[in-house]
Amino acid sequence: MQDEKVKNDVKNIFFEVFPKLSENEFGWGKEQKDYENWDSFAQLNIITFAESKFDISFSLDESIEIKSANDLLNCINSHLK
Amino acid sequence: MNIIDSLRNNVKKYPSKIGFIDEENKVTFQEMLDCVEEFSSSELFKNKNQTVGLILENSIEDIIAYLGIINSGKIVHIIPPNITEKNFINQINSSNPYIVICSEKNRINFSNFDIKDLTIHTNEEIIAKSIVQEKIPDINKIAYLIYTSGTTSEPKGVPISHEMIEFTTKNIVKVLEYSKNDIDLTPLPLYHSFGLGCLHTSIYVGSTFVLLKNSNNLENILNSLKKYNTTTLAVVPATLTKFLKFEKQYLDEKFSNIRLIITNSTSIPKETVNDFKPIIKNRKLATYYGLTEASRSTFMIFNENSKLDESVGKSAPGVKIKIKKFDKKLKIGEIIIQGKNVIKNYWDNPTADKNLENGWLQTNDIGYLDNDENLFLVGRNDDLINIGGEKVIPSEIEEIIKQIPEIEDVVAFGIDNEIFGKIIKVNIIKKKNSNVHKTKILSYCLKNLEKFKIPSKIEFVEKIPKNEYGKVKRSMLK
Repeated sequence: MQDEKVKNDVKNIFFEVFPKLSENEFGWGKEQKDYENWDSFAQLNIITFAESKFDISFSLDESIEIKSANDLLNCINSHLK
Repeated sequence: MNIIDSLRNNVKKYPSKIGFIDEENKVTFQEMLDCVEEFSSSELFKNKNQTVGLILENSIEDIIAYLGIINSGKIVHIIPPNITEKNFINQINSSNPYIVICSEKNRINFSNFDIKDLTIHTNEEIIAKSIVQEKIPDINKIAYLIYTSGTTSEPKGVPISHEMIEFTTKNIVKVLEYSKNDIDLTPLPLYHSFGLGCLHTSIYVGSTFVLLKNSNNLENILNSLKKYNTTTLAVVPATLTKFLKFEKQYLDEKFSNIRLIITNSTSIPKETVNDFKPIIKNRKLATYYGLTEASRSTFMIFNENSKLDESVGKSAPGVKIKIKKFDKKLKIGEIIIQGKNVIKNYWDNPTADKNLENGWLQTNDIGYLDNDENLFLVGRNDDLINIGGEKVIPSEIEEIIKQIPEIEDVVAFGIDNEIFGKIIKVNIIKKKNSNVHKTKILSYCLKNLEKFKIPSKIEFVEKIPKNEYGKVKRSMLK
């Protein structure tokens, strides 16, 4: 149940940061390079949103390694567990 | 014509008119001139050194001292009474006065400072040493020296000439229609160029200058409007905003005799302008933009055109304003000013003089001009946040976040970041009983700002550090 909520929140972060992203276009494995607007500022926005949402703080290395929704989910889970 | 000439003119025209009132005394123009001449004839001014320090408080005694030092041929180094020991020593080392004049109370306060080779005298001690002068000294071209409060660098000495004062004062009188019939209430510190400019204006036109000590005593200011039959009031925008906590009917009654409210320092909040318009209907609410180095560079008289409520107005007569654009595509850039109100150089400071290029002062303020040449302030160049090469003006983020109903106040600033150089942090004061979450703020920002302007850190705080004029003390943000 908790896992589903986290997954849903992560998905919503992507819809917040990429407002033009549709449900069909979202994919857990879809990588940064496949997003039209996932540049360094969008990366910063994703990190900021996740940190605020889950009240956690990513290290620099973790921030750089996040290249998909799956990466973000795993990173968040590692902080929550 | 210098300020002493103006005083002499008033004495010729209306010697027995009350020219100066403070909370304890009132004096005529004749009495003021007599006191000034007695003060300036002190043998303590017989020294080759040209600068005299004055710890300037809001009192008739200190107006006498200010004018007396000028009349003695010296330059007044104006020192705020609340100055820190570090700043005091920095300023003294720069201006190099041979004496400092102050009240007895301030002598006790300042005697603890580490100041060798500097003598502190009280006003009374100066007068006690007055002698018959064989030759009246010429007045120095520089009237006073004032140090800017620079938050990010060492204070810079700004020498203000009589020519600058005359030019600026004439503009004030012309634009705001001051006359000898005015009674001008000033609850502003005289050690600040706004308050001092009000004194010069009253002396120039021969009106009555009413000086209050405390700008935070709102009831006293409002009661003084009626008590002295005041016609003009000079206050900072924060004071105007605070007045609005009183009921409109009460304010209507207090402001019934006022023909002009003049304010400055920061651009005046549009809500304050809107709320004040009905209180002083058919009379003037005005503001101006200027720096110590370029006083009264624009004037704005608010009217029904609410589109201009956030402007600081058009350039003053004889003053040129341009925008040095950061990028040709943008209308925003650094405000630069040229005119006789602009200093020619800083006080013995070649580094600071680089801010002056061919008579144009680089203000470090950011703004833009609309098609009708109305100036709008946006922020300070120093406050710009450079995020990976993108320049962000904090006020743009602050304005968006303030639109969220649960937010009381906000300040945006840059913090160091290993990747971007700087990232944006916002410190936010929530409204009482609000439980707004950081994600709501981020969502709102994402909808209303470009992605490089989205804050990366949000902290809820109890207080945002501000100075007495309501300006955020950015150097204290973290």
